Amino acid sequence: MNKDIRYGVIGLIVGAMLLASVPSVSAELFGDANEDMTINMQDVTKVERMILEYDPVVASADANQDGSVNMLDVTCIELIILERVPFPGGHLNTVMIFGPKDTLDPANGWTGWYVRKAGIYETLFKYNDEMELTPELATGYSQVSDTEWQINLREDVQFHDGTPFNADAVVYSLERVLDESNTRSSEYAHIASVTADDDHTVTITTTAPYAPTIASLTDPLVSIVSQEAGASGTLDTYPVGTGPFKYDSNEFGASLSVVRNPDYWGGGVKLDSATLTYVSEGATRAMMLQSGDSDMSRGIPYPDVGTIVGDSNLDIATKETLRLYFIFVNTEKAPLNDIRVRQAINYAINRDEVVDVALEGVGGVSARGVFPSIFPWANDDLAGYPHNQETARSLLKDAGITDTNNDGKLEYNGADFELTIMTYTTRAAMQPSVEVIETQLEDIGIGVNLELAGSTAVKEAMTDGTYDLAFYSYGVAPSGDPDYFLTHHFDSTAGYKENGWIRYSNDTVNSLLASARTATSQNVRKSYYDQAQEIIVEESPEMFIFHEKELVGYNTKVIGYEIYPNEITFLTKNMYIGR
Amino acid sequence: MIDYILKRILQLIPVLLLVSVVSFSIIYFAPGDPAETLCTGPDGNVNPDSVEKFRDKMGLDKPLHIQYLIWLNNLLHGDLGYSYRSQKPVFNHIKTAFRATFKLSVVSLFLSLAIAIPLGIISAIKQNSPLDVTCMVGASLGVSMPNFWLGLLLMLLFGIYLDLLPVAGYGDGGDLEHIILPAITLGTGSAAVTARLIRSSMLEALGQDYIQTARAKGVSERVVIGKHALKNALIPVVTIVGLNFGYLLNGSVVVETIFGWPGLGRLIIDSINIRDYMMIQGCMVFVTLLFVLVNLIVDISYRYIDPRIRYETAG
Repeated sequence: MNKDIRYGVIGLIVGAMLLASVPSVSAELFGDANEDMTINMQDVTKVERMILEYDPVVASADANQDGSVNMLDVTCIELIILERVPFPGGHLNTVMIFGPKDTLDPANGWTGWYVRKAGIYETLFKYNDEMELTPELATGYSQVSDTEWQINLREDVQFHDGTPFNADAVVYSLERVLDESNTRSSEYAHIASVTADDDHTVTITTTAPYAPTIASLTDPLVSIVSQEAGASGTLDTYPVGTGPFKYDSNEFGASLSVVRNPDYWGGGVKLDSATLTYVSEGATRAMMLQSGDSDMSRGIPYPDVGTIVGDSNLDIATKETLRLYFIFVNTEKAPLNDIRVRQAINYAINRDEVVDVALEGVGGVSARGVFPSIFPWANDDLAGYPHNQETARSLLKDAGITDTNNDGKLEYNGADFELTIMTYTTRAAMQPSVEVIETQLEDIGIGVNLELAGSTAVKEAMTDGTYDLAFYSYGVAPSGDPDYFLTHHFDSTAGYKENGWIRYSNDTVNSLLASARTATSQNVRKSYYDQAQEIIVEESPEMFIFHEKELVGYNTKVIGYEIYPNEITFLTKNMYIGR
Repeated sequence: MIDYILKRILQLIPVLLLVSVVSFSIIYFAPGDPAETLCTGPDGNVNPDSVEKFRDKMGLDKPLHIQYLIWLNNLLHGDLGYSYRSQKPVFNHIKTAFRATFKLSVVSLFLSLAIAIPLGIISAIKQNSPLDVTCMVGASLGVSMPNFWLGLLLMLLFGIYLDLLPVAGYGDGGDLEHIILPAITLGTGSAAVTARLIRSSMLEALGQDYIQTARAKGVSERVVIGKHALKNALIPVVTIVGLNFGYLLNGSVVVETIFGWPGLGRLIIDSINIRDYMMIQGCMVFVTLLFVLVNLIVDISYRYIDPRIRYETAG
């Protein structure tokens, strides 16, 4: 190559690197005079000290951004603290995995999840970051009779379009979902009617006693929408809710932008605005965080966790979620119909190793039961199945499965004892996890055939009863209520397909679950579910492996972020950019 | 000429019919039930009542051929149907997605030509020189490099190390900043193919007698190459560029996915994932139509490049 060209290219690259290495001017949190990333009375003192020339003046002390630090800044900081002046929270760029592709109407499919994450919509009740059921747009409820629930509403709320939030809006929003034409209406078939008693009270009547009625009102599907916007037919392109953020603009499949709702009923919203970008590729999301294109990225792939933690400006927030990875067992197929064989397999699985190897130690937490410990309905007394190969071998021996010909493999009925584990690969953690389990079972002499298929093929095999074990993943409490998973899987009188797959029936479990569904006292319900879970773990019709952890990468300048385990709440009024 | 175009358009009909039948049956026999997939939430749970109702509402309980005929009948009335998921017209979705893909295609076509034409010409003129070898090795690399890998490398280099461009995203309606990296990723492969083709057909043209004649009568080398050789070398190049553009317009699943670009490729892959038959069918017909039309335009353009080519139907 010509020498001139070569020098030119080198010069260009060096130049570009120099250009890139110039530190970019970081945005200031104006008002944060002592630079501790919050604004409080200490900043007032700090500014006063600067005015008196005790301390050197810093740029962030200029709260009103007029170019000088003086008593006006003191007033301005005080007004920010009193929420009379908007908090200078800046603009947040965040990258999400999934987003709205064709509509912004919360009552359509799962769009409600996306618009709620953006802080636009709210529901009557919600789960807080500890997964406790708390009122949101409601102030409380009382159960009038077995089938009637009276809900009191907030009186100080208005929609983004200025119309008041009241009982009519609630009736309107719920009836949109109850309407036959809504594809998810059957999930609310337990609600017979919703009526407005007065301006701020509604009564929900159920078709039969149904304990999770209030819990069902936390699904973003039943977000409360402005009746006026709904009547004008624009909700699918211009959402109008009550949340801390107002809709600004949107590009379907790409991004959604929101701005601060200055009149939020819950008090001052700190961020000025936010953009949620939707990128389905994990590596891209991680790189966007590293490059500074995003301040937060959800769903960081395990291999990128180390790089992000190693970057002094970045960190990973992590919390257990309600997503469970577990194994369906065909309890009718010999020898899996023997409870000792199922328990032996449970003891042979080293859950900590699955988490350490397949999830690189960061993607999950070993499971002892159906629910993670962050969920209030978890039975914390469950011991689960600590890894113990000796117990596993002796249980198998009791069941007549031993190594009769000393070839290192176990035999059952004169033939090698072999099991097939089916699974599907759409979730990244499935295959690596099941491969670890495979080697663990082979370790104690069980032959394992791994069968990777589409989830449809796995379901077919489970329906036909031709499978042994199927490794699967479910969200265990989409509405925050424990009934859903336990009844679908373990109540043989309820007729759900999951129970049909495991072919499991236990009269005690059935009656415990039936009593729990109609019991109204939380403590009584909890004791029923605790007892049921104890029997289920003991009898092992399903083996619970790990609870998935949500991994959110964030820039340390982002303040006030909390992970909500049910993945429904994301942007909140408390978040802001700290420098 | 008009006759020719009409004839080509008539030929489209059996092609489209065949494509629609094939795609309809392939997605139908692929495992997965649209009703169940669409009624599955982000949590992975299905409500059986919703599934039944959905199946009923969308006519998914009818036999395959009836479903197809209903769809075809609607198509003949200019109606591509409604997306299962959004319940909105398929055409609206295609229109939005195509806008994003079109933008990306035009920029990457432009980039690939801007790279390919000078490289091809220089390599042909300086045949077998080190420059030629370098260019052609580069072109081979460009062809063989997988899209997603090149995309990730570009993100690392320009997005993170040099911090000059955004890593990914659609920006403000697909602005220039956000379009550069995906366009380079998409354009590199076709630039390499095109450069090689320009080189070989330039070499062929330069060996022709009329080039010698031109040189002999004292025409400047610039005119010899630019006018006499290049114009004659362009016919095969236009074919390939046209084909490439057709591919680009169909949207690249890989590039659109890693860059988070809301184009046609992603629309198709998303629709396949959720078994949105109506959307898949609509996209297939649209993509086929587009591809055939681009080819038609390429054929017609030959006439302008080489006036000797005529499309009169024989007597």
